[in-house]
Amino acid sequence: MKAAQTITPDYLLKQLPKATALVNRKQLLAGASDSWLNLFGKGKKSMIGQDVKTLFASHEQIDLNALDNLLCNGESGFLRHKTTMDNTTRWFQSTFSPWFDDKENVLGTIIQTDDITEHVETRHELDRIKTLFKEKSEVARVGCWEYDIATEELFWCEETKKIHEVSPGYIPNVNEGINYYKKGYSRNKISMLFHKALEEGKAFSERLEILTSKGNEKWVKASGKPIVQDGSVVKLFGTFQDIHEQVMLEIKREENERLLTTLINNIPLNVFVKDKDSRKTLVNKSECDYLEKSQEDLIGKDDFDLYDAKAAQISREEDLEVMRTLKPLIGKETISIKKDGRTTNFLTSKIPLLDLEGNVNGLIGISMDITSLKKKEDQLRNLINVTAVQNKKLINFAHIVSHNLRSHSANFSMLLNFLEQEDNESEKKHLLKMLAQASDNLMLTLEDLNEVVTINTNVNLQKKLLNLNEVVDKVLQDLSTMLKKNRVEIINTVPKNKKVLSVPSYLESILLNLITNAIKYRDPERNPIIKIRAAKEKDKTLVQISDNGLGIDLKKHGRKVFGMYKTFHDKKDAKGLGLYIIKNQIEGMGGAITVQSEEGVGTTFNIYFNEENR
Amino acid sequence: MKKIDSLYIVDDDPITVFGIRKMLKPVVDCDDIQVFENGKTAIEAIKTRNGQGRPVPNIIFLDINMPIMDGWDFLEEFGMLEFKEKAIINIITSSIDPSDYQRWSDLKSIFPHHLNFKNKPICKIDDSDLELKNVSQER
Repeated sequence: MKAAQTITPDYLLKQLPKATALVNRKQLLAGASDSWLNLFGKGKKSMIGQDVKTLFASHEQIDLNALDNLLCNGESGFLRHKTTMDNTTRWFQSTFSPWFDDKENVLGTIIQTDDITEHVETRHELDRIKTLFKEKSEVARVGCWEYDIATEELFWCEETKKIHEVSPGYIPNVNEGINYYKKGYSRNKISMLFHKALEEGKAFSERLEILTSKGNEKWVKASGKPIVQDGSVVKLFGTFQDIHEQVMLEIKREENERLLTTLINNIPLNVFVKDKDSRKTLVNKSECDYLEKSQEDLIGKDDFDLYDAKAAQISREEDLEVMRTLKPLIGKETISIKKDGRTTNFLTSKIPLLDLEGNVNGLIGISMDITSLKKKEDQLRNLINVTAVQNKKLINFAHIVSHNLRSHSANFSMLLNFLEQEDNESEKKHLLKMLAQASDNLMLTLEDLNEVVTINTNVNLQKKLLNLNEVVDKVLQDLSTMLKKNRVEIINTVPKNKKVLSVPSYLESILLNLITNAIKYRDPERNPIIKIRAAKEKDKTLVQISDNGLGIDLKKHGRKVFGMYKTFHDKKDAKGLGLYIIKNQIEGMGGAITVQSEEGVGTTFNIYFNEENR
Repeated sequence: MKKIDSLYIVDDDPITVFGIRKMLKPVVDCDDIQVFENGKTAIEAIKTRNGQGRPVPNIIFLDINMPIMDGWDFLEEFGMLEFKEKAIINIITSSIDPSDYQRWSDLKSIFPHHLNFKNKPICKIDDSDLELKNVSQER
């Protein structure tokens, strides 16, 4: 106890837990707690008696003038300062108060220094957050609002007012606030949500439309949250965000997407997108329909999964070329063969697809099914060929007609001219007889021409599948007398059930003409032999009739064998019409006739019958 | 009346042959008029003449469209035969095919005999059908 009584004031000071210093009027440190000394000079004793200002000067951000004032005038006050030790900054607040003796004389100044680092940092953080929040709300156009149930006051922040396009001084109330929402869905919805938040404490967040005070329509996101105290809602607060541009962009994007989807799915073209490995990543409806698979089944598949291997390889090579060169493949005619062998002609375009960095990451393919066009084209080409052939025939026929008719008319003209100048009666009679003869000749010629015309116009005659042997037998029966008389040997090796597709009367006429010709132009030196055989050759049936007759010099006459009124042997009954007519008949049925011959050996006619009915 | 040694008519149409004969009667005095129905019989007769060293027929009336051997084929073979004399060949045709006329005009300049081209109907025999005077002056 005694010891406690004798303790010196200095020692007491030294032990004070709060950093405290005493400064005399000369502004020299008179004494200090260890904790204070620690703050300024790592607790060195030698600091006692030093100038306090020098000690403070070792800290940063100290206002030395203010310090001077506080120390000289013995006023109360505080100063802030900080120090950085071992990379950590600490903030201090030193409180200055006058130091009195027991007679109220000022002896100096008492300084108490507190560590306020935590306080300062909290303060800074708050400032920072406030600033950040303000900036954010400006940038993001997020405002806030607050509603006090007790006072029925509605508060809008600056940004909320900006969004409503009202003046900063505007004071809203709940009714007005709700009436800014667009009549109908938006207004009904916000009323309901606001009510529910008040009554049931339910938070909300909804995209709605408002009509600003300037009459502009805007999309906003209104959120609200109740503050509950003692079980009842006392306040509502929330955010209010201008999302107009965002919503508009979304609507625009959605519209674009819908447009694109509608377009891609309804365009009558096959559209697909492939990745770098030629796997499909998008297919449209046409492509699905063509491949007879669902969209899900096609995504991720490559051409090898869908097409014949050869066709797939060609397609893959095209893909690689397009992706390598970045040059689009436009309108190439391609043939696609499905696994089951069905083929389709396409007009295909492949366009390289680049990502946002400009690197190729696949391709867009567009193909148009031109199978039916192709078929039509083939038909048309066929038709042109047929027309060209027919045209040629027609010109040829026109020549024949003009020549044959002309020769008769020339005769008439000549004979009439003679008749005019003739005085002799018996000579006149002779001339009239000649005229009658000329007239008969003209009639015969017209009959011949008519026969040819009939073949060429009767294109609709029905072809039938005929038993070749039956027809051969019938013709041989008709010619039996002639055959017997000339001792003709017939060698018929046509298979029993051989059928040919022909107009019945044509087949008869063809066989009759060729067999008759063979007999007519027999070699008188030997007995005539006529061979008839039939064989299948590609998609045609070949009927061959060969004889051992006189033969024709084809080098000389080959061109004219089937011509009208061409005969090559001195035979009285040769009119030169038979071969011309049967050639027309055969060609009229889509067939062909050829001849091989050697003088003194014989002649062979080959007739090709089409097996298909066309 | 022109005296002619030998005259051939090569035509398969009896009416034309009749007409030519009739028209010749008042203008030509010829004891040797021969008619052939086609080119083949005619060329064979001419070959025989040639073989016997007899002269070429002075005048030939030749049809183009005939069976077995037509007029052009006849001319082709005729042109190969060697004769000292020149014949006058009157091509008489009802053809108005321009290709026949073209063929004649191409052949005329290189053919060893004189070639005339006459379209039917013919109503009289011209002097030029029988005489060579213009040609001989040119040559």
